Amino acid sequence: MILPRLALRNVLRNRRRTTLTLLVVIAGYMSLSLAGGFMAQTFDGLSQAAIRGGIGHIQLLHPQALEGDEGQSLEFAIPEGEALASRLRSDPSIADVLPRIQFMGLLSNGPKSVAFLGTGVDPVREPQFMAVMDSLKDGAKANGGADSRWVSAAPGSREVILGVGLAKSLGATVGSSLTLMSTNKDGGLNALDVEVVGLQDLGLRELNERVLTVSLDTASNLVDAGSARSRLSLLLKYPKDTVKELPRIQTLVGKDVQALPWYELASFYKQVKLLYLAIFGFMGLVLFLVVLLATANTLLMSVMERVREFGTLRAMGMQASQLTSLLQWEGALLGLCGSGLGLLLTLIFRLAVNALHLQMPAPPGTSHGYELNIHFVPVVYFGVFIGLQLTLQFSALFPGLKAAKLRIVEALRHV
Amino acid sequence: MQNRNRTFSDPPASRIHSYTSDMLELKNITRAYELGGEKAGAFGVSLSVPAGCLAVLAGPSGSGKTTLLQLAGLLDEPDEGEVFLEGQPVSRLPEKARCELRLRRLGFVFQSFNLVPVLSALENVMLPLQLQGLKDEDVRRRAAESLDCVGLSDRLEHRPGQLSGGQQQRVAIARALAPRPILVLADEPTASLDHAHGGPLMDLMAQQCRESGVSFLVASHDPSVISRADLVFRLADGRLVATEGAA
Repeated sequence: MILPRLALRNVLRNRRRTTLTLLVVIAGYMSLSLAGGFMAQTFDGLSQAAIRGGIGHIQLLHPQALEGDEGQSLEFAIPEGEALASRLRSDPSIADVLPRIQFMGLLSNGPKSVAFLGTGVDPVREPQFMAVMDSLKDGAKANGGADSRWVSAAPGSREVILGVGLAKSLGATVGSSLTLMSTNKDGGLNALDVEVVGLQDLGLRELNERVLTVSLDTASNLVDAGSARSRLSLLLKYPKDTVKELPRIQTLVGKDVQALPWYELASFYKQVKLLYLAIFGFMGLVLFLVVLLATANTLLMSVMERVREFGTLRAMGMQASQLTSLLQWEGALLGLCGSGLGLLLTLIFRLAVNALHLQMPAPPGTSHGYELNIHFVPVVYFGVFIGLQLTLQFSALFPGLKAAKLRIVEALRHV
Repeated sequence: MQNRNRTFSDPPASRIHSYTSDMLELKNITRAYELGGEKAGAFGVSLSVPAGCLAVLAGPSGSGKTTLLQLAGLLDEPDEGEVFLEGQPVSRLPEKARCELRLRRLGFVFQSFNLVPVLSALENVMLPLQLQGLKDEDVRRRAAESLDCVGLSDRLEHRPGQLSGGQQQRVAIARALAPRPILVLADEPTASLDHAHGGPLMDLMAQQCRESGVSFLVASHDPSVISRADLVFRLADGRLVATEGAA
């Protein structure tokens, strides 16, 4: 135990220099941990947006549904989708199943027609699990969106909720009457008069200009769906079991239906995650390099100041490898103290920043800002700790080898 | 491949040369180096130091005292010749083995004390014992005893910066003696001390020679050191020119 004790004394020998080195390690730790927490918030927000935006935890669809465009509505649908949904609702791990009909066509106010992407949803189940009311609330703030409400579950009601951009392009407001036109599953053209009961703001301009939502009954009537459904969104009782449940559910539904997890369907989430990880990786590399150079410089200076002392220790019988170990201990102590203090300050800083409820600007392509809430991510904290510790050990390697290679007689003469 | 468990007192048969009663023997040692464009070092020096003897390498600066001391202390390798410790050739051993010998058989005292400044007097003396891997309680006890022997039992917790030069050198002697070496090598141990401190320090070394049987080889040109020696090797220009005293 002599080496760690001696290393501790050596680290405390030049306190100002040690303090500066520790500050570099602390800054590195805080930067990476807080960036990791911020990324976790972003990933969490994006995943929730994807899941509660309609995908669910697991989505069931026709095996060819993702391979190409449908020639007509429901070409690649689950034929007995409604029956399958009823059967799955009795599964103990599934909280609910939300059937959806996806269709496209033209929306017309008479003089003007605009292409749309429509979704028919269960008007009762959908608001219980999906974020439809949030987008409706945001849509109510748009021009003509006042008094927006969710579509009625009453059979025979023909109501529609429009994306704010789509409503704008047709000059429609809540209360307007419009005509939906689409092809049914046999290729025939069908039309329905609908009343606009609400506007929705989905946060993405491109979506707002194209999407509309109707009840399953309305969509089924328009495209003559019968019991076919485009997709079934499964909500699990325990979302963290998504990966575990996926193969079981795939077995349950058979090979004619494909079960996909939300993260494979949320392409925006995947792209943002990859981008953030690349940024985080580059930033981490730069920070680790800064820490490496700063601590290597400190330890090297410390070695150069102790040449005669090292000569004395070697003369007394300390092995060259022990001298290298001594420097490794000094690096380890700097890392432990720096990362420990960094962790403490990160936790304090995180609490302080989150308490301020800072509003972040809207990310590119979206129309909403969001509140900054840096997440507590133990795996990132631990990973940064290990990364910095390894960096410190690596930075102590060269000074340690230099000390070990000193010729004793020359070291003893050193002034 | 070096056997880690082998001790110096149990060498391989092939290494046993010829045992003499001399603790240290230098045979035809040559170690040359360039100093300011001129050749310096030690040339063809042979000498031996018996057990329990206070021997002095005397001579002016540049006469080769420190070179010989470093060779005897296994800090450097001779160009020619051989160093025998307890009758065994040691100068060509691998560095790891020589390091082990320095740790267990030799002690060093330097002109400028060379104490570790961040350690207390007690911790400085404990250091070589800890490197030997002794138990903590034995380390502390032996270090305290060693400091008591040099009259510093009341300065255990003082750091080198809080001690006078004489006290620091006594700590260095305690550090050299604590591992119970067979030979202590001292390079100008009184050079950084005034006369009032140098004399008693040499008396302390002489006392240790008598009481513990440890040999001292001291490099010095200080007459007060030479006057206390059992054996004096006079050097000039790297060569042994005279040996004084009874071996």
